[in-house]
Amino acid sequence: MKNSIQMVVVLAVISLISGLALGGLHQLTHELAENNILKFKKIPAVADIYEVVAGELPPAEREAVEEGLLAEKRLVEIEGESILFFVVRKESEPYAVALENYGQGFGGDLGVMIGFEIESGNLVGVGITTMSETPGIGTKVRDASFLAQFPEMSKDTIFKVKKDGGGIDAVTGATVSSRAVAQAIERAGAFYQQHREAIVAAIDVVPGGEG
Amino acid sequence: MTTLAREFTKGLWDEIPLFRIVLGLCPALAVTTSMENGLGMGLAATFVMVCSNGLISALRKIIPDEVRVACYIVVIAAFVVCVEMITKAYFFTLSESLGLFIPLIVVNCIILGRAEAFARKNGVLASLADGFGMGLGFTLALTAVGAVRELFGAGTLGLIFGERVFLSQPFGFLQQAPGAFLTLGLMLGAMNVLGKLGKR
Repeated sequence: MKNSIQMVVVLAVISLISGLALGGLHQLTHELAENNILKFKKIPAVADIYEVVAGELPPAEREAVEEGLLAEKRLVEIEGESILFFVVRKESEPYAVALENYGQGFGGDLGVMIGFEIESGNLVGVGITTMSETPGIGTKVRDASFLAQFPEMSKDTIFKVKKDGGGIDAVTGATVSSRAVAQAIERAGAFYQQHREAIVAAIDVVPGGEG
Repeated sequence: MTTLAREFTKGLWDEIPLFRIVLGLCPALAVTTSMENGLGMGLAATFVMVCSNGLISALRKIIPDEVRVACYIVVIAAFVVCVEMITKAYFFTLSESLGLFIPLIVVNCIILGRAEAFARKNGVLASLADGFGMGLGFTLALTAVGAVRELFGAGTLGLIFGERVFLSQPFGFLQQAPGAFLTLGLMLGAMNVLGKLGKR
């Protein structure tokens, strides 16, 4: 009897201490990890959309553009949630907003950054942020040949792959991943249509209150 | 002191994890597409092995035999999640290229193997030395396999020579999973030959 109590207590105490320690470490590191995702995943996707607007950039300039896009980060409160989006400018006037959304891919959530023209709501471009799709198959949704179909796509397009009766050409052999991208665009599109005013109003609200 | 040194060095040659005790093949085959990935994976596993060996050895008198494996897994998993958080915060590109294989260190049989075979019977210092030696051996092995596959499969050695290309037409096959088996098998064979020559 004494032995079985000891078993439970020891295992429980070890688990408890591990849990607490990990919770503490998470507090310390999650901000840095978030920053990394912003810097290495979200910003490059926004830069892809910016390239559609401004024309292809030489690699040397791209770095500076990515740096600049950090200042175009905006937060807007919608339905009690803080939504992150980016402003993409054409000749320094706001031209498009980029929102991130997710679709259900083969390896979990597939994150897509979607640029909408502010006035019309049409697509400006699409960039992939985070994914864990099968290397060499699902990861092909990141290829330019797939992403090139999105610029100037009308907001009235049915955002489904052609197999499902929509207007998006899927990557051969990667239907699930292509569907996830379509799903993310559909969600983001619906969100943008619904909350357009709140988003547009937040364009000039720079976080940190500098102008 | 001499025994401590022995516990440490046995992992580097006599019982080097990948080539002598053929364990830990899953990460060895999966992530060794480049030298850098092999090194990163090896160091991550080393960290977990040293910490878990030390802690399990320290707790060896408290942990009841019946639940020991469950306790070991909790301890190992906790350190693995530490590694995962740290790489995500400080070594983001590495965490991207290793992806799922960092969390999978939890089920790396070398680590549980050392806990079960060594740390639960030996003192803290000896266990630390054992974990460190085994980890370093594992790192060496992964780095070597990664270097061979990268050099012949992609034609580069990014970790040392940066962008420089050695083979303009590399054997891309070596970057795939079958190439991993081939590379590992050949290196295992070479190690056995070397071992026999050494004994003579």
